Amino acid sequence: MAIKRPEPELLHHIPLKFVRDRVSGHGRKAVDHQIPLIPFIDFLIVLVIFLLMSFSASGELIAQQPTITMPDAKNTEQIEISPVVAIDERVITLDGTRVADTQTQGQSAQVDRIEPLIQGLESEKRKWETIHPSEPFAGQVIVQADRNIDFRVVKKVMFSAAAAGYGNVSFAVNQREQ
Amino acid sequence: MAAIETGGGGSGKKAVNQEIPLIPFIDLLLCCVMFLLATAVWNQLAAMNANQQVPGQASTEDAPPEDEKVKLILQIRNSGYVLGSSAGESIDIEKRAVADQKEFDTDELQAKLGQWKQAWDKRDDLIVAPEDGVRYEDVIRAMDIASAAGFINLSMADGAAFL
Repeated sequence: MAIKRPEPELLHHIPLKFVRDRVSGHGRKAVDHQIPLIPFIDFLIVLVIFLLMSFSASGELIAQQPTITMPDAKNTEQIEISPVVAIDERVITLDGTRVADTQTQGQSAQVDRIEPLIQGLESEKRKWETIHPSEPFAGQVIVQADRNIDFRVVKKVMFSAAAAGYGNVSFAVNQREQ
Repeated sequence: MAAIETGGGGSGKKAVNQEIPLIPFIDLLLCCVMFLLATAVWNQLAAMNANQQVPGQASTEDAPPEDEKVKLILQIRNSGYVLGSSAGESIDIEKRAVADQKEFDTDELQAKLGQWKQAWDKRDDLIVAPEDGVRYEDVIRAMDIASAAGFINLSMADGAAFL
């Protein structure tokens, strides 16, 4: 494309004299306007810098659930990919699939096995061992529980996870500034 | 549109005026904004790791040094914290009254764990043993304080096993 001197171009293709006069501003204010692109580019650059600063390469491994308010903690570690057991005030889920009722588990003082959870975790373990045949199994599970849950329920979840071979538990928390 | 005008170009020479192509630059920036907005993570989620301790389980490894045989235990009871060890040491940290209700004394726990860390400076393992009825948030807070004090190797155990 040829390089030409910048000049007003708006409405120039209309072959009418009064339009041409109006556009060129003969005696009146011209209607030809330039769009201010430089402030727009400045704004975009600021936006890109802000978004880059909040960019996380690891992505979102677990989703914040509306029914769960997680506790806060300062001395934390990064979350790694593992099965997620979520405990809210009503249900216990494994990767989104309901495995038990929270209230039922909270009422009984005995440390009971949650059989659907054990079966689900064992299935996850078999899948992992099939995909990674040469790697040792880490046995890590993420527990994402509401802050007001009785620890008895969490204990039963941990007991069931240990029964399925998941001895390492990561408690999901909201990270506070150090 | 932005342009660089030098005023030259007359008398048979090639004009050096240049127009800067801003539209592709804006397109690139808009693509960047869309990609970053789509991949943005707004909530800072993290994890506190702990392994599961089975009380009384015999170790299959070689015998550890004498001081490492002592188990350091932080019990979280409904009445407060108890710092104890299998050597018989026990420190009670009762709940404190705050506006008609009792709360866990986290400041006192922080101070006592700091003293414990000085006494057991080679140790970074601690067994956290919450009792039934304790809120999950209180357990996480105690684990957070223990990590801050230097006990980064945390294990979970049933609080009833140590009563």
